[in-house]
Amino acid sequence: MLSIKIGRFAYLAANWAVLIFLLLPIAIIFVFALNPTPYIEFPPVGVSLKWFDKFFASSQFMSALLLSLEVAALTTVAATVLGASAALGIARGNVPGSRAITAIMLSPLMLPAILTGLALFQTYVLMDVGRPLWGLVVGHCLVTVPYVVRTTLAVLHNFDLRLEEAARNLGASPQRTFFEITLPLIKPGVIAGGIFAFIVSFDQFPVSLFLVSPGQETLPITLFNYLKYDLDGTIGAASVVSILLAALVVIGLDRTVGLRSYVKL
Amino acid sequence: MSDHQTSLNRRQLLAAGAALGVGALAAPHVSRAQEAATLRITGWGGKWGQIMSSDLIPAFEKEYKCKVVTDTALPFLPKLQASPRSAPIYDVLHTNSNEQWAAVEMGLVEPKIDAKQVPNLADVYPYAVSDKIVGVSIFTSAIGLGMRTDKDYPAVTSWKDFWDARYSGARGGYVIPVNSLGQAFLTLCGALYGKGYTDLDAAYGALEKIKPIKLVDFTGAMEKMLLSSEVGICVIHDSGVYRYYDDKPPTTFVAPKEGVLALEQVLSITPGSKVKELANAYVNYMLSLPVQKKLAQSVWYSPTNKTVVLDEPYASRLLTTPEKVSSLIQVDWKWYNAHKDAIDSRVNRIFRG
Repeated sequence: MLSIKIGRFAYLAANWAVLIFLLLPIAIIFVFALNPTPYIEFPPVGVSLKWFDKFFASSQFMSALLLSLEVAALTTVAATVLGASAALGIARGNVPGSRAITAIMLSPLMLPAILTGLALFQTYVLMDVGRPLWGLVVGHCLVTVPYVVRTTLAVLHNFDLRLEEAARNLGASPQRTFFEITLPLIKPGVIAGGIFAFIVSFDQFPVSLFLVSPGQETLPITLFNYLKYDLDGTIGAASVVSILLAALVVIGLDRTVGLRSYVKL
Repeated sequence: MSDHQTSLNRRQLLAAGAALGVGALAAPHVSRAQEAATLRITGWGGKWGQIMSSDLIPAFEKEYKCKVVTDTALPFLPKLQASPRSAPIYDVLHTNSNEQWAAVEMGLVEPKIDAKQVPNLADVYPYAVSDKIVGVSIFTSAIGLGMRTDKDYPAVTSWKDFWDARYSGARGGYVIPVNSLGQAFLTLCGALYGKGYTDLDAAYGALEKIKPIKLVDFTGAMEKMLLSSEVGICVIHDSGVYRYYDDKPPTTFVAPKEGVLALEQVLSITPGSKVKELANAYVNYMLSLPVQKKLAQSVWYSPTNKTVVLDEPYASRLLTTPEKVSSLIQVDWKWYNAHKDAIDSRVNRIFRG
């Protein structure tokens, strides 16, 4: 009985240790953002919102934030449609070499993202199209589609095909079967992939590094450049806003489509 | 209207489609040709970037009826390297001197600026166009020692004071493989403790003796370390200390008696630029008196135009006289870049422990 209690205590302690390890950097960011000094000081000398004021008053940061949200939204839509379609095709299409195709679909995750960015940049230069917004979205899609493919394939793996057959036997068209049977059943995987896509795109740095055009920089790139010249609490404030936005997306999705079902994944 | 006049046959339709396709493909080029000339440059962010984008660039665009596109997102060199030599992504490259030497070695920028095209070149200090410089240096910071004044440290006059045992654990330096201030300091170590700036063995020995030391990769991080008292003495450029002049923090900049290392802001022109005249005009503009004074007094960089007269407190602190300028030590970046891989490997071993 004692050994069970000790084991349970050790298990809980290990969980708390992991949780603290994950949350500590975020806590430090919050301290940095709220500390009035322009450098990280511990213990904090006070609480101030001046870095948030500076962040929200900066047209450079605001346009970067809006651009990041725009790119992340476009990427999420494109990556979700492409990734879910690809996963369906791989799982259902009786495609020869589907395992190889799956590996290829996931390969952008194996390649250092900075090389993906550099290669795309060189391609755009050779095409003489400059560094357009769609080029940035394409770059982000390359590194986010694999997440949607993976999560959708995971759901499709346990999918009961007889449900679709029943719908077809009862006279439903392929389109109706897809929208009323297939899609609701694979939704947890698709939405989970979409959330990954949004967060990965919103925080994307290495791919964006080469693909942002002058004067139109995403938030991570703006933060990096700011860090080089003006390291102060504005970086912390921007990071807090970034974290809160990502959390808001997750909470919003939980309220609208329900995230609890993803735990099954 | 008859059917004959309105309907298109298959051949006409194909021709119209092809024309539309060609038109769509050519549209960006045509519209670009009709636009005002565009000058593509690189530039810094921060206060420098703010002044450039709010005042100086609009004034240049108005004067030369052009559009200036400034890329402030690093890294510049790989982007320039990835673009065709005949159609480079930048017309004017603004970087520190070490990167300019890497660029010129790859044939990405022209080694020198044509004095006939840039009249203000006649007014710069000789070091700004010396054989240690690619293109032209438009501003320079002095790399010396930053100190806390509230630590009761004795007066520092020499670089060698940095090795004083009392500063053990209170020193600040840079991650040498990624920071040019750290690289410049390494060459100085060779001169201080060996036969000269290229005496690497002496430099490595000197670096071993300054451990423990706090290292940063971003240049701007050092001034925060000094402000927060995380370091008591550090290698730093004068602008990193002077920019807080109005706040009066307990910090000071020391120019050691052996001289200060030069941290040059350099402009060069790419060989494949299609707007060379405009590029030269931009270089000339950046060397002009009003631009030099405005930037020097905003970001605490020493102007390289020797005819600029700065106000106080800038004049007495920046490198504004031939005597002060003579204390500048210019790094041989061509030599350094040729040995960089070996230096990086050795330095990583020194500071890994």
